[in-house]
Amino acid sequence: MTGVASFCYSVETMNQYHFHKAWRRHLAGRLVFLLAAAILPVALPGPSAAAESEHLVVYSGRAERLIKPILDAFKARTGIHVDLLSSGTTELINRLVAEGPRTPADLLITNDAGSLERARELGLLRPMNATEIVAAIPPQFRAADNSWVGLSGRFWAVVYNTTLVKPGDLRSLLDLAEPRWRNRIAIPNAGSEYLQAGVSVLKAVYGDDRTRRFLEGLKTNAGTHVYGKSSQIVEAVATGQVALGVVNHYYVYRHLAAQPAAPVGLLIPDQHEGGMGAIVNVTGIGLTAHTKRADSAKRLVEYLVSEEGQKLFADLNKEYPLHPRVAADPALPPFKTLRTAPVPLARLAELREPAMALIEQTGLR
Amino acid sequence: MPHVLTVRPAFPDSLTIFAATVAGLLCLPPAYVAYLALTADPAAWSRLWTTRIPELLTNTTVLAFSVTVGTLCLGVSLAWLVSRRDFPGRRIWEWALVLPLAIPTYVLAYIYSYLLGAGGPIEALWQWFAGPDAHLPSPHSFAGATLVMTLDTFPFVYLLARAAFLNLNVSYEEVARTCGASRAETLWRVTLPLMRPAIVAGLSLVILYVVADFGAVSLLRYQTLTYAVYQQLTGRYDTTAASILSLLLVMVALIFLVTERWFRHRSRFFQTTGRYRTPPRRRFGSLGAALATLYAAGVFTVSFGIPALLLVRWSVTAVSAGVVDSRFFGFVGNSVLLSGLAATVGVLLGIPLAYLATRRPSRTNMLCLQAAYAGYVLPGPVAALALLAIVSHFAPFWYGTAAVLVIAYVVHFLPAGLQSLEPALQQVTPNLEEASRSLGYGPAATLRRVTLPLVRGGFTAAWVLMFLQSMKELPATLLLRPVGFDTLAVRIWLEASEEYYQLAAPAALLLVIMTLPAILLLLAKDWRAA
Repeated sequence: MTGVASFCYSVETMNQYHFHKAWRRHLAGRLVFLLAAAILPVALPGPSAAAESEHLVVYSGRAERLIKPILDAFKARTGIHVDLLSSGTTELINRLVAEGPRTPADLLITNDAGSLERARELGLLRPMNATEIVAAIPPQFRAADNSWVGLSGRFWAVVYNTTLVKPGDLRSLLDLAEPRWRNRIAIPNAGSEYLQAGVSVLKAVYGDDRTRRFLEGLKTNAGTHVYGKSSQIVEAVATGQVALGVVNHYYVYRHLAAQPAAPVGLLIPDQHEGGMGAIVNVTGIGLTAHTKRADSAKRLVEYLVSEEGQKLFADLNKEYPLHPRVAADPALPPFKTLRTAPVPLARLAELREPAMALIEQTGLR
Repeated sequence: MPHVLTVRPAFPDSLTIFAATVAGLLCLPPAYVAYLALTADPAAWSRLWTTRIPELLTNTTVLAFSVTVGTLCLGVSLAWLVSRRDFPGRRIWEWALVLPLAIPTYVLAYIYSYLLGAGGPIEALWQWFAGPDAHLPSPHSFAGATLVMTLDTFPFVYLLARAAFLNLNVSYEEVARTCGASRAETLWRVTLPLMRPAIVAGLSLVILYVVADFGAVSLLRYQTLTYAVYQQLTGRYDTTAASILSLLLVMVALIFLVTERWFRHRSRFFQTTGRYRTPPRRRFGSLGAALATLYAAGVFTVSFGIPALLLVRWSVTAVSAGVVDSRFFGFVGNSVLLSGLAATVGVLLGIPLAYLATRRPSRTNMLCLQAAYAGYVLPGPVAALALLAIVSHFAPFWYGTAAVLVIAYVVHFLPAGLQSLEPALQQVTPNLEEASRSLGYGPAATLRRVTLPLVRGGFTAAWVLMFLQSMKELPATLLLRPVGFDTLAVRIWLEASEEYYQLAAPAALLLVIMTLPAILLLLAKDWRAA
């Protein structure tokens, strides 16, 4: 408070009575000093202060709950502490771009292969050619130059309320645009990477016109039921606010694990003969181009793709492990039996901009 | 020490230069955003005009209008009740009605989306009453956003109106009564018009708060400009659309600000002293007292009582599940450190701006003050992105540090402080200081014995308001937080956005509890002025 008081004093005296110029300069100098003293202490605790090798910074676009237990297991095994910055995937990539070579991040984890490929194109990642990594994950789930590797698989599912809908009511995703679902479906918002990736696949398979008509129908049918989180969509379906929702499959299983009696079911669309197949995506990890702790960072990647790490993804999150020798949760339909959409993950990046233009043109929120 | 009395300096003095520099720095982030928006591809503009902008503009202004009406009714009526009438328990309600300020909009929003949501307790009650197929209108709507924002922001109007009721020179009212005006007529034609500057100041604070709010509208999924900016920013790789929408947002806010300035400029009052005596409080009859208590208690219950109880209940569950650990207390320290610094820096920077605009309202000085207001309505996410770009360009060694976050808070919340600093300085007529000087007090004694006692309340209020708002700030904190420097607000958001209400509750409750002492400071005994 003395700082404020002395400054008030200077304000009053300076302007009402115009003291000697040197006296004024002195006061202005003192003010600058006060400000500096107020700001500087916080300038100290920053990422640069903690540059030891047994310490990693991970930018993660996944919900913290879905990744933290696995990072904790890594710390227990190796003693390497992981600082986690959880936020939106696209947001984190923007941040990496803005931070450039000064980024504190060693690794980037995302919920979408298209975003990782985009980060690779932007020069934010560097290849990881350790044999442990390359051998563990099949080639269709990693970048051509191994700048990123997939960690777990998921597919677009339709979650339905079992009291409102029969599983036979819907065969293809495109059916969601039909007028009979008016105000009865819940969809993710336009900023969610999995919607963008899904629309990219639809565009590649069906072309612009059909995709646009589908999105317009989806927008009409969803009305105000546009959500930021998949868990909210499942919740809206479970409570009967809507009949159907579009989510990643594991959110349905997670919900059922927490509330076994919830009236929700899972439907995999486009599995019929001649159908497009399910939209598949992976979560993945990449080593940042400017990391100064590449060795520790690679140890984390190796751990995540190892059988032990992969089993955690399968058990904790109900996702599909990508390591061929790790089995998925028995409740899930076997990955091999799924008909999947014929669009390679690496293509998601180039399709992203036109898909986002489509989303924007239809005015999806 | 020789001193010369000059009428007007030939050159701008150091204070004016300092104020102009501060105003210039505060304008940098909005200027950067405007630059981005104006250099954007015209196709992006036309695409947004045809798809999103009409809906967003309508939603934003309609929400601002409805919350203004709601807070005006609640704030002024409650302020009148506690400052001009007497009934049992009045003193309790007088301070209790400020407590909703301690609940951030996103916390109130998640509590109400649980309470009023499908399958929530109020719907269950309604179904028990009206049959199993009865449903309530969803809180994820315009009505829900209006309710939450009104309950959360009416204390701004209440506080300023209450201070005005208490500080008003009762002689005006007595004269009106002597001249034959009835009590209602006096209130309507004398008291309320005299309070206009305070009420308008409160309402413009509310409007700016609503327009810039991210927490409530995002959780209630009501599409406003600020929410759309955040969605565009976090969902896209380029900032074009976000900056276009931000520019519109700044325009909307400027319209409100100019209106407010115009209002206040037209009605500037000087009082010769703080006041002559406490305005008399009339006692209610028993029915009146019961109704007044019911009204005050009802508003308090829905805006603070029930939310606080729910937070406590959820927190108990969460604590017994082991959610509160040493990591949790680290977040507490971060929140206090950041907000305290931001409030202190904000007051130090705000004083010269408010002082110059009040005492020497030259074109330059008024422009500096107006410039400082732009930051409040610059949505958190865009202020954050603009700051990141500016800092990485000019001060890379500050990059990723908490200092950037403090700067963002100051840019964002200085207007909240100015709203208090300005009226406080307006209350001191220059004549008083001149009289004090001519009667023999030196500048120091004049400051200590005359000026400071008159402005202390306003300065305290400014610091507290900025501290509270920094503690609650969400979008800029999300975007600017250094690694491992999460605040309570960020923790709440991480849990609540997944609808893990119980996991979010301890941080939310703590945020409320930590904000309470600051509010008690607001209500300290000698604190009378707004």
